[in-house]
Amino acid sequence: MGPLASLELTIGSLAALMLLVALCTLGQVKLGLYGSVDTYIRSLLVWAEVPGTSLRVPVFPGGALVGVILLLNLTAAQFMRLEWSRRKAGLWLVHLGLALLFAGEFSTGFFQRDDRMVLSEGATRSWVESPRDLELAVIDATDKGFDTVYSVPERVYSKKRSIEQEAWPFSLLVKRYLPSARIEMRQSVEGGPASMATAGLGPSLVALELRRSRKDDAPEEPALFVEAVSGDRSYGTWLLSTALGGPDPGLGAEQGLTLDGRQWRFALRHRRRYLPFSLTLKRFTHESHPGTDIPRVFSSLVRLSDPARHEDRDVLISMNRPLRYGGQAFYQAGFENNDTVSILQVVKNPGWLLPYLSCVLVGLGLLIHFAGHFWPAKTTQAPSKGAGARS
Amino acid sequence: MKRLGTLAAAAALGALACLSAAGARSPKGGPRLALFAELPVLHEGRVKPLETVARSSLLILRGKQSISSRSRSLSPIEWLLDVLARPQLADEYPSLRVDDPELLSALGLSDASGRYYAFSQLAPAFKTLEDLSGQAESLDPSDRTRVQSAAMNLYGRVVLYQRLKNTLRPAQAAAFAGEAAAAAGGAAALKSGPPLQQRLAGWSFLAQMAVFRPLPPSPGARPDDWRSIGEALLEAHAGTLHPGLLPLSELADAWRAGDAAAFDRALGRHAAFARSAVPRQMRAARWEAAFQRAQPFTVGMTLYLLAGLLVMAGWLMERKGLERAAYAALAGAVAVHTAGLLARMLIEGRPPVTNLYSSAVFVGWVGGIVGVWQEKRSGGGLAAAAASVLGFCTLIIAHHLSAQGDTMEMMRAVLDSNFWLTTHVVTITMGYGSAFLAGTLAHVYLLRGALTRSLDKESAKRLVQMTYFAVCLSLFFSFVGTVLGGIWADQSWGRFWGWDPKENGALLIVLWLAIVLHARWGGFVRERGLMAMAVFGNVVTALSWFGVNMLGIGLHSYGFTEATLLWLVGFILAEFAVMCLAAIPPERWRSPQVFA
Repeated sequence: MGPLASLELTIGSLAALMLLVALCTLGQVKLGLYGSVDTYIRSLLVWAEVPGTSLRVPVFPGGALVGVILLLNLTAAQFMRLEWSRRKAGLWLVHLGLALLFAGEFSTGFFQRDDRMVLSEGATRSWVESPRDLELAVIDATDKGFDTVYSVPERVYSKKRSIEQEAWPFSLLVKRYLPSARIEMRQSVEGGPASMATAGLGPSLVALELRRSRKDDAPEEPALFVEAVSGDRSYGTWLLSTALGGPDPGLGAEQGLTLDGRQWRFALRHRRRYLPFSLTLKRFTHESHPGTDIPRVFSSLVRLSDPARHEDRDVLISMNRPLRYGGQAFYQAGFENNDTVSILQVVKNPGWLLPYLSCVLVGLGLLIHFAGHFWPAKTTQAPSKGAGARS
Repeated sequence: MKRLGTLAAAAALGALACLSAAGARSPKGGPRLALFAELPVLHEGRVKPLETVARSSLLILRGKQSISSRSRSLSPIEWLLDVLARPQLADEYPSLRVDDPELLSALGLSDASGRYYAFSQLAPAFKTLEDLSGQAESLDPSDRTRVQSAAMNLYGRVVLYQRLKNTLRPAQAAAFAGEAAAAAGGAAALKSGPPLQQRLAGWSFLAQMAVFRPLPPSPGARPDDWRSIGEALLEAHAGTLHPGLLPLSELADAWRAGDAAAFDRALGRHAAFARSAVPRQMRAARWEAAFQRAQPFTVGMTLYLLAGLLVMAGWLMERKGLERAAYAALAGAVAVHTAGLLARMLIEGRPPVTNLYSSAVFVGWVGGIVGVWQEKRSGGGLAAAAASVLGFCTLIIAHHLSAQGDTMEMMRAVLDSNFWLTTHVVTITMGYGSAFLAGTLAHVYLLRGALTRSLDKESAKRLVQMTYFAVCLSLFFSFVGTVLGGIWADQSWGRFWGWDPKENGALLIVLWLAIVLHARWGGFVRERGLMAMAVFGNVVTALSWFGVNMLGIGLHSYGFTEATLLWLVGFILAEFAVMCLAAIPPERWRSPQVFA
């Protein structure tokens, strides 16, 4: 236990963390924010390619590993090294607060769901969508009152050749997957490749593969060719892409098939999460400072309606004033389409209170510790006392 | 020593007030320029006096708040009036700065005539400039060459100058008051002169070009409903005459004709109207004009420099009197600095830090105030030296950051929260300030100890204590400020920590200070090690403060230029050189008595 509680380990880990944070910052230029954070911070090890080969080897501990080590070090030091005296009370508070802060960041890494809700004025939504994660949605739209949605995550359709589900009267073959593509009308592209698609919108479109970019401001639009088969029989091949949106009623009807009296729709879309309540955008307001383009106010007036809990009220969501409801928080994040569409960021993070607690504890702890150090002791300011803590 | 400081502070503030009053006085018998400078206008979303418009426009156009032509020095407001109302004269003033020699040769100008050019000198090259700038505009900012960026920048400034010329009256028209009267006079008055279509087009042009809106909202209108001259002309034609339109157009004509008496009469009428329409803004504008003329941060900078020189002279000549004088100068500098900071807060109605410029002012202030306190406690000129160097450097940095125009710009919606600006931004900037103070104190220790014979054991001990205190202070503010920033982010867009470059920068400071303290507690470093680490703290803090802006990503990237990068690299190299002093063995130091 000795080395685990040592100050050497603390300093080493803090230095490693500094290096990781610096690398994560510089890495954002090339990898984008999420890529860089996943590489350096939310990882146990940092991997690098051996030049000239495709071999990847771990070269440095990742942020998660360093975080765990620091947490263990902190706990061990607290119990083994620091005396439980009033003189050290400030440091206990600091260490407890730091432990909470780490716990909060781990909780964010594992449990936080980051979604968004795009609302045009007058529209009602009871679902949110992920800005980055995608799904292949297979929808049974037979019933007029509700849809049954089967969601196939990206890691499945991007790797697997064939996808089956008990309730489906067919299986889906992934014929081609383009991680980044541009969709064009067939007549506007001369000599475009022949389409794999035989049904839906696909035959009149061309999907051109693009080089992958990991820029945060230019999201990729993937495309997917899937064939519905049952035994030897093929029902057709569809081209699905996030660029095609949907499945809204017009286009959606074509991106699917009717089989044995049941209507099936297919879509490649941002992963949706359904809520037990709904929001309706009544009005979006965007004002600038007079004579400038500097925005002064963004706000969305929404109607929150939750039949199960008998909630039905207006809420004004604006910058710095989120709506917290049903375990999630809705923030004003953006707008588009000439100020008629409001974009809300929807965050579900069960650990959201931890940093608040931590801030209070560490702030108080540092204050107590330093005050005890500097004020009663005009004569004994020398920090050499601290060495006594190391035994 | 305490009384000396208080006296010095009072003297400095008194001098500042006199300075401001002197700047406000107009030459005897001349036009009442001071009153004109205090007129409130709406400019870039904020109501401010013309004095501020004049100074910030000069800063943008020529990088300086002063200008002189044919060996006559012009006050900013005289310059502005000439641009607004007497452009035939103003076009000969060296109002535009062009630095890039390659751009000059591309424009067919010789760089023999210096860095400042008159509008009339640049006029033959406008077509070329427009082409160059147009080419550059279609490129991604990172793909532009230096000349292309310089061309775009100059083009933007020429456009601003042109717009200023067409804000108060059309630049070309000989007499303008008649036009305004005609607009208000209805169909009969418009019979003579140019056809109506041409007049309407001219008025719309004025409305488009206006840099600021000089006509206050009429009683009963919305408080931000200010009007430009062009808008008022169009409205007058539609039947609503703004009471300020005729006086202002007469004022412009009078200035053009050089008729001081007529200028004063028209000015008096407009000011009387403004006083009745917007009494509160009129008073505020007056205060702000006085603040602009007093230039407290320039005065403070000079006093910091004086304090620094005095304290160093005191050490070299071993005179206690000089150290006391240095303390007095420092107290005066901090008093002026504080007054300037408070005035800015009152004028803006905001906490002290709202942008990069004000963060520089505030960093220096934190260093100054803590330095004065430490100096009072322990004397010897040690903290006074550090605080005066820090105050001087940060105010220089602030001066260079102010070249982008008005430093009291309006806040974007996401930043528009006084609560969070006060808690997070002020706290984190206090963290920067005390980290820099620790680093500067460490410079005093290393430079004085390694390079001069003047550092005695007692002073060295006090320096270590003060540096250690500043590190602790900085860790407290940096940590609390960083976490508060996370909480603000959680409040406004739902994530506590996004690993945004600026957030990472703040985290790096916290981590480094934690390393410094743990290394000290563990006994891994002693005095010299602590000092070297504190100097490195300067590097980390500077990178966090400015470095992240050069990545051009993230929510916090603002206001970065190539020149900043060069300065930053130079600073870091210099800091490494100072850190190397700590590695020199004690017996080779010129003050080896420190280790005895």
